[in-house]
Amino acid sequence: MDEVIVEYIRRTVLKIPRDEIMAVLQKWGFLSEAQLQTINFRQTKEGISHSVAQLCEESSADLKQAALLDIIYNHIYPNKRVWSVYHMNKTGEETDFFDFRDFKKKFRRQIQSALINVTINFREYEDNAIWIRIAWGTPYTKPNQYKTSYVVYHSQTPYVFISASVLRSNLPLLCQAMVVASNYHDIHEMELRSHCLNSLKDIVFKRYSQNFQTNYPLQERNVLTENVDLRINDENRSEKERIYRLNQESFGNGPQPKLDFAQYKLETMFKSDPKWDVLEKKEPFRCLVKFSSPHLLESLKSLAPAGLADAPLSPLLTCIPQKARNYFKIREKKSLHPGSFMQITFKDHCRV
Amino acid sequence: MEEEHNSNEKENALCGRSLTAASRDGGGRMPAAPLAQGKVERGKVYSGDGVLGYLEMLEAQAHELGLKQEEKEQQEKKLDRLKARVQELRARRDELRAKVELQEKRLLDKEGVMADPAQPSAQTVLEWKVKSLKAMLQVFYLTGISGKLTKQGVCFCISTAYEGTYLDSYYVDLLIKPLVKIQRHSVPVFIPLEQIAKKYLQTDIRRFLSVLSDHLNAYVGRRHQADQLEEHFSDHIDGTLQRNSLCNLLVFNYTVSSNSKTFPFNVRLLYGDLCCSLPTEAIISCTPGTLPLLAEMAAAHSNAFRHMALHKAFDSLINAKESQN
Repeated sequence: MDEVIVEYIRRTVLKIPRDEIMAVLQKWGFLSEAQLQTINFRQTKEGISHSVAQLCEESSADLKQAALLDIIYNHIYPNKRVWSVYHMNKTGEETDFFDFRDFKKKFRRQIQSALINVTINFREYEDNAIWIRIAWGTPYTKPNQYKTSYVVYHSQTPYVFISASVLRSNLPLLCQAMVVASNYHDIHEMELRSHCLNSLKDIVFKRYSQNFQTNYPLQERNVLTENVDLRINDENRSEKERIYRLNQESFGNGPQPKLDFAQYKLETMFKSDPKWDVLEKKEPFRCLVKFSSPHLLESLKSLAPAGLADAPLSPLLTCIPQKARNYFKIREKKSLHPGSFMQITFKDHCRV
Repeated sequence: MEEEHNSNEKENALCGRSLTAASRDGGGRMPAAPLAQGKVERGKVYSGDGVLGYLEMLEAQAHELGLKQEEKEQQEKKLDRLKARVQELRARRDELRAKVELQEKRLLDKEGVMADPAQPSAQTVLEWKVKSLKAMLQVFYLTGISGKLTKQGVCFCISTAYEGTYLDSYYVDLLIKPLVKIQRHSVPVFIPLEQIAKKYLQTDIRRFLSVLSDHLNAYVGRRHQADQLEEHFSDHIDGTLQRNSLCNLLVFNYTVSSNSKTFPFNVRLLYGDLCCSLPTEAIISCTPGTLPLLAEMAAAHSNAFRHMALHKAFDSLINAKESQN
């Protein structure tokens, strides 16, 4: 058992960038300062990981310590995993006194009543975020520490962030345990997924800047600050300012939450010149449009000022943080006027 | 040897000549390039006596003269530049003066009568109006609930405070037509906004805002007390303070002493009323068996927590303990 744990710790250390290994180990706190000083950090990562493994073996590291290191690693580098957001409902109106100890007990009991071969570890952080690490086994095999799911939950909120990784078959059990432990009634998956956990939190907790209008504190009128080079004359200054103003209204002033993609599934009728008559049958034209970007919302925000799209942008694009979703299904708009539908206008074919 | 002797003679001859030249110039005047004295004064080491040495000396002097001349030239240039700038500024000043006079004349022609300096000009009146409006808006903001009309409705700002400290502000953007609805907001997700809206938003907006403001102020107050406790009394607490998002359940441990023996106390503070920043219940538990001894103290502590702000209550308990000892 020991060798498995030590090897697991060694492989976790290998994942950390070399310059940050010391800081992570200090946060972990299992190895003393004296022990950490004996590690030579100038050797290769392979060498460092072996030194750490050696020290852990000498200090008899157990499974709990190994799991804690894994939680700390994932807390510092959460963007290596894909996170989905789940929403819970409750019908009662009683005040909920969320007790962390109660929660842990209920969660563990719920999972272990269905599957005994699991490793469950909890860690609470200062911003009231509870991190849960679950290593899954099967009814016949011990938990596989490399097959883990992570759950991040802020107490007394209806949102749960789950990174399920490989085993999706255990997801219903996980969701059920969350519902029971947090005193809610049901849970369903939202159409919101991203690598950046903090941005997902920003979107559902409404922590991003929404540009509310107030009388006080007095809002400074955002005038375009440009390089005042008197030799350059802006012929379309008013147009530029109009675009800037509309953009600010749609996206706000502050930094945008970081999303990787937005996916639009079109189930609309293909509209073409009647005389061409492309499709024999009048069937919805199935099409999937996916916008990918290292930082989707910032790139959408810069489309209009860069001249690549008309301002204001289609509400389908600007509603993403407000509606808290990046998967959309666009169906035919049932309206009185035939031929009216949502249109996204791009000036060029371009990759956002 | 002979050559040396000759060079020495030559040098002496040269020196002699220079000295006589100096005396011929007229008594008292320092020669322009004192040769023999210069050689000694400057303390430089010349490669040798004789012509080469003399030439070196001359070269060095010429170099220095050149530097001095350059410096002088630069200063003169600078002086010229500054003079030109002065001229420029004078011209500009005259220009502006002329403009001002023209304006005044125009104003005179328009008004017909010179404005009374005692009466405030339109400009100052406007400035005063703007200033008083800003102050009014600030007052509204400080009362806790302020709003601004938007294109489709109203945007309310609820600013919270606890015992004199101003804390966060939260916004609720309402649509008015066709029904009153919340378009967007920045209220934390654990505040039961939907419940409050369902009850009051359609019927009584004032009540809605008042209830929401109570919830937010109470939450912020509880959070502030918990933060203060952690900040100032972390060394008196064993372990960490356990809390949750709403700060309506706080659990922590501390030690009390009685008859020079120490006992651990565990406190569970439950805030049943979300609009209140004081706990509804303060449950103190101690190790089994010690309760009879400490019942009175536990009751007193529980009372303190239920009636005073957390950090103040804890402060008084600590001080009472210390005065006891």
